[in-house]
Amino acid sequence: MKPLPDRLNDRLERRTTRSWQSEEPPDWLLSPVHTPNRDPEVDELVALALRVQSAPPLQVDPDFAGQLEQRILVRNAVLRLEGPVRGRSFPRMLRTYPLLKVALSFCLLLLLLGAWVLVAAAQVTNPGNPLHVVKHWEQQVRVSLATSPESQAELELQFAQDRLKTLVNLAVAAHSQAYRAALAELDQQLYAASRAINALPAGADHDRVESQLATLQADARHTLRGLLPQLALPERLLTTDELGHLGSTVPHLVSAEIVLPAHPNGQAIISIAGEDIQPGVQLLMNNRLRDVRGSLQNGLYVFIASWVGNQHPQSIGILNPDGTAAQTTTITLNNSDEHENGTGNGNHGGNGNGNGKGKP
Amino acid sequence: MEAFKGQLDRARRGEPEALSVLYRQLLPGVFGSIAARVPDRATAEDLTSEVFVKMVEGISRLRASDEAGVAAWILQIARVTVAGYYRQRERQPAFVSLEPRFWEEEAPGANQLIYARNPDLDPAQRVEARDEWEAVVKAINTLTEEQRLVLVGRLILGYDVSTVARMLGKNANAVKALQFRALQSLQRVLGNQRAPEHALPISTSQKEDVP
Repeated sequence: MKPLPDRLNDRLERRTTRSWQSEEPPDWLLSPVHTPNRDPEVDELVALALRVQSAPPLQVDPDFAGQLEQRILVRNAVLRLEGPVRGRSFPRMLRTYPLLKVALSFCLLLLLLGAWVLVAAAQVTNPGNPLHVVKHWEQQVRVSLATSPESQAELELQFAQDRLKTLVNLAVAAHSQAYRAALAELDQQLYAASRAINALPAGADHDRVESQLATLQADARHTLRGLLPQLALPERLLTTDELGHLGSTVPHLVSAEIVLPAHPNGQAIISIAGEDIQPGVQLLMNNRLRDVRGSLQNGLYVFIASWVGNQHPQSIGILNPDGTAAQTTTITLNNSDEHENGTGNGNHGGNGNGNGKGKP
Repeated sequence: MEAFKGQLDRARRGEPEALSVLYRQLLPGVFGSIAARVPDRATAEDLTSEVFVKMVEGISRLRASDEAGVAAWILQIARVTVAGYYRQRERQPAFVSLEPRFWEEEAPGANQLIYARNPDLDPAQRVEARDEWEAVVKAINTLTEEQRLVLVGRLILGYDVSTVARMLGKNANAVKALQFRALQSLQRVLGNQRAPEHALPISTSQKEDVP
């Protein structure tokens, strides 16, 4: 036999659940409690359940039910009238449309990620860093969103100043490649700033920003000259070139002539034609410093250096005492006897590998 | 289940018809649960009104999606509302006062219901019926909250055991046991209030049938 709670429940379940809502008690409950084939203990509890179910204090007054229904419908109508704010409130929309929640979460995540990338990119100084592209892009966006040409010019100047600061941090051998990239960026940025300023109409704003550019250029010249001693030769050559762009006096080589010795292990005469070569200049051959001193003769700077074998240099350059450097690949090679006869073998324009038949 | 969910969604959007259906479905249970705990019908009606206004205001935020969840939600509102009522009156809700004074005050409204349900009762029978209400309500108030909720769910809202189980977060056997113990307690209380020969009073119209 089933336990009493189950037997009681079976009796209560015998009718469909909603039958309890009917006004009149079902016949089976109205029958006498003690009848054959019934479970007396369960019968009593079922009869009690009916009493509870139909107990008047627990019944709703129909008038009250009707009035309350009207009241809540009015309240609902009022809330719907206030609706736009309530009905379309953000939290409610999120509850109503779970996909919107997912989409917004995704957007928020992207936004946070984007913000993080921008912040991280803003800290990046090394042009070799992948985030540097983002920084560059962000600066371009800022320039394009600038409200006036003056603001654009000022932004370009500000970015050029940033590039100059970056350059100082990269002026060590370990960052040679990044230094070269940063130097190129500084050049481009100064050019962009100059172009933006030139686009400004003449007037006080133009003069003011142009003065700022001049100050920045002077600062750049000073800074770059200060960096020269710590730079390796390739970076020093590029920096000298940039100093020339900035209006600084820097050496410029036009060509070099090498008169090879008549005998192996003799002395070669290297004559360099160029401008702003300072007294006390040092010779560079294939980007390496040669420990020889030269002198100015007939407008050419002439070095006499020991020569081993039949070496054909690819580049000849000089290093001024102020740290600036320049080189040329326009080199003419002559043998000493040919030189005396007024003929020679040359190579021009850069590969430095003479074929023995060229002319200066 | 799906039909109820659709109706609930419409009610959430504030559609009056859906709200009306939900209201009519839940009103007996809400009123019954409140009426069994407060001292008079007027208070029960006031608090019931308060509960349904809260329902209208809060249904858009309701997370439940089935009938049991909605019933549990609104009965919880009812419970909190009753507790608030007692806090306001600085009285404990543990045992509902059904002193004669209250029922005498409320007698006209209550008597109307007696008339409506039992038009053939004579005055003596009506008094007897009214006394029996007091006894039933008083007995219901001796039950635990869970037992009361089981009786409201099963007997007034007409839910099956599994629905009530979901409503309470219990299993079906636990609900059956609560149901059994609740009715046993009522039987005990009602029996103590009556003479031994009326240890189990049944509805007024059937008393003659009791051997």
